[in-house]
Amino acid sequence: MSHWSVTGLEVDLDHFHLGPVDLELSPGRAVAVLGTSGAGKTTLLRTLAGFLRPSAGRILRDGVDVAAWPPESRRLGYVPQGLGLFPHRTVEGNVRYPIELRTRENPAPRVRELLERFRLTALAHRYPTRLSGGELQRVALARAIAADPELIVWDEPWQALDVLARYELGLVLHDLREVEQIPIVVVTHDPGLAFSVADAFLVLRRGRVQELADAATILHAPSDPFVARFVGFENVFDRPALAGGAPGSLRAWLSERAGPEGVALASPSLRPGGFATPAWDGTVRSARPGPDGVTVEVTADELLVTLRVPPPVTSPLPLLGTRVRFGIDPATVRPLGGAPAGGEAA
Amino acid sequence: MTPVAGAPSPGTSPRRRWPTGRVWLALQIVLSASLLLLFLVPIVALFTYAPLSGIASAADNAAVRATIWLTFFASGIAVLAAVVFGIPLGYLLARRRFRGRAIVESFVALPVVVPHLLVGLGLFLVLAIPGSPLYRITQAIGLPVYDTIWGVVLVMVFVSAPYTVLAAELSFQAVDERVIETARSLGAGGATAFLTVTFPLALRGIVAGLLLSWARAVSEIGGLLILAYAVYPGGPYNGPVTSTVSVYIYNLFQIGDLADAASVSSLFLIVAFVLFLVVRLGERSGWVPWRRGELAP
Repeated sequence: MSHWSVTGLEVDLDHFHLGPVDLELSPGRAVAVLGTSGAGKTTLLRTLAGFLRPSAGRILRDGVDVAAWPPESRRLGYVPQGLGLFPHRTVEGNVRYPIELRTRENPAPRVRELLERFRLTALAHRYPTRLSGGELQRVALARAIAADPELIVWDEPWQALDVLARYELGLVLHDLREVEQIPIVVVTHDPGLAFSVADAFLVLRRGRVQELADAATILHAPSDPFVARFVGFENVFDRPALAGGAPGSLRAWLSERAGPEGVALASPSLRPGGFATPAWDGTVRSARPGPDGVTVEVTADELLVTLRVPPPVTSPLPLLGTRVRFGIDPATVRPLGGAPAGGEAA
Repeated sequence: MTPVAGAPSPGTSPRRRWPTGRVWLALQIVLSASLLLLFLVPIVALFTYAPLSGIASAADNAAVRATIWLTFFASGIAVLAAVVFGIPLGYLLARRRFRGRAIVESFVALPVVVPHLLVGLGLFLVLAIPGSPLYRITQAIGLPVYDTIWGVVLVMVFVSAPYTVLAAELSFQAVDERVIETARSLGAGGATAFLTVTFPLALRGIVAGLLLSWARAVSEIGGLLILAYAVYPGGPYNGPVTSTVSVYIYNLFQIGDLADAASVSSLFLIVAFVLFLVVRLGERSGWVPWRRGELAP
């Protein structure tokens, strides 16, 4: 498998600039590209795939710059948003396509093997419009593998997939990375998949690289509100939201601990008595029981805070509009962006 | 909006209601049916006026067969020309952004808006007057247009090709760019991706455009009255001196031969309808390539 190295990559579009992006992808590594819409994720992937010409920088495959190569010469398993399946070809025809292009030999054995591997044999003669989301996914994957790719590039492939299909896909991608050592670049909004597939996270923001970090780093020190929400912090407040807090208020307390981008905190516990200091008063906006306790949304000092009442749930659910008192463990507070201005560093 | 049952609620004055439910539906049906009736009446009139024996003898008449043959032959060439020249133009308009694209697009619409008699006159002035340079060129390369099958084809291409161009443009635009890009990424060069993905996916819409073009070509008369009123043997046509069906029927009408005019018209309608039906049935049954699979949602 190839080693990919992206250095100083920049792309200029009409109203958008991406880069510079630096990225190393050795065999068996996978990078998840994160960012809000418009951050440049798809632009980066399309540039890697050869549909956009970079204005600067290099894309090296085993030391050879392929930045000016046409898409068909790059040996990628590229799956765009929406999967890009051929609606006029059957499942079998879709999987056969890249093999037909590459070799004059009989593609049938390889096609059969791939259909079997992705459990598509029974669907071989169906057209894509007659398949479920998970099945479509497997066809796209089988077809991408049929091209014998040196790099798999997936743009948000598991949108609107059920849990089982996502799980299955995670396994397959993990397998491709671990066993076949194919490097993977993936764009996703699904943290579960990102964490199970990727070992590095490239965070883009308005076309710039915000950070390139491993899983532990973005979990413990998320760089911006988007990443914090992505990794599962339920309470994320950006800087402007914290402005103007009266001394001694929740906002002032959080503001002190916030980084330049804001602050995130894991769900504080709401217990009947016995909470850590400091404590604040809030009004219950919603309460919803679940397997990990009751999730309660509270407004306090004009901030909407999500709290958790750990199981077992003994007392009745808090009523809407009830005044409650909650505490925040200072150790769960994470400053966002740059150096911590207070609180504790992870 | 569903009609409210019962009396208006207290405190509100009774208001006049818009026609709802059945009234509205009846209105739609009556209006639609009127238009459909208008479409149907002249065709029924032709068939009722023409005696069955008249249609049969028209089919047996060599002169009538020649005019029908010429019309389908010339319109076939015109459709071929629409394929060769119209599809690339449609593709260009659908996939490329270039300066002056809006101007090109209005050029494509030109033949649809300009009265066809003027088109015939314009073509006559530039191609059929012995002094003009283009006349000399057409003579030199053996493609004279005045009163020849080439003149018929030229007028037909002019009036019918826009339908193919527009249909091709829309069909190519409708093909998901990401599907084409995926093909490229899987190893297909630009031309291969076009032939294996873009074109097959656009084919259905293009064929619909070609059918429209063909129908338009067959029914043309305005331009032909000036450039190719009579068609003398020459080029691929070596039958008797004739004209297209439209001109032929017009002539019969002019000399007051209504029965023959109706008979030839009916015969022509039958042939055209059968041809059209064959294509549509083929499309339905799935043996034509553009029907395979379904278009992406």
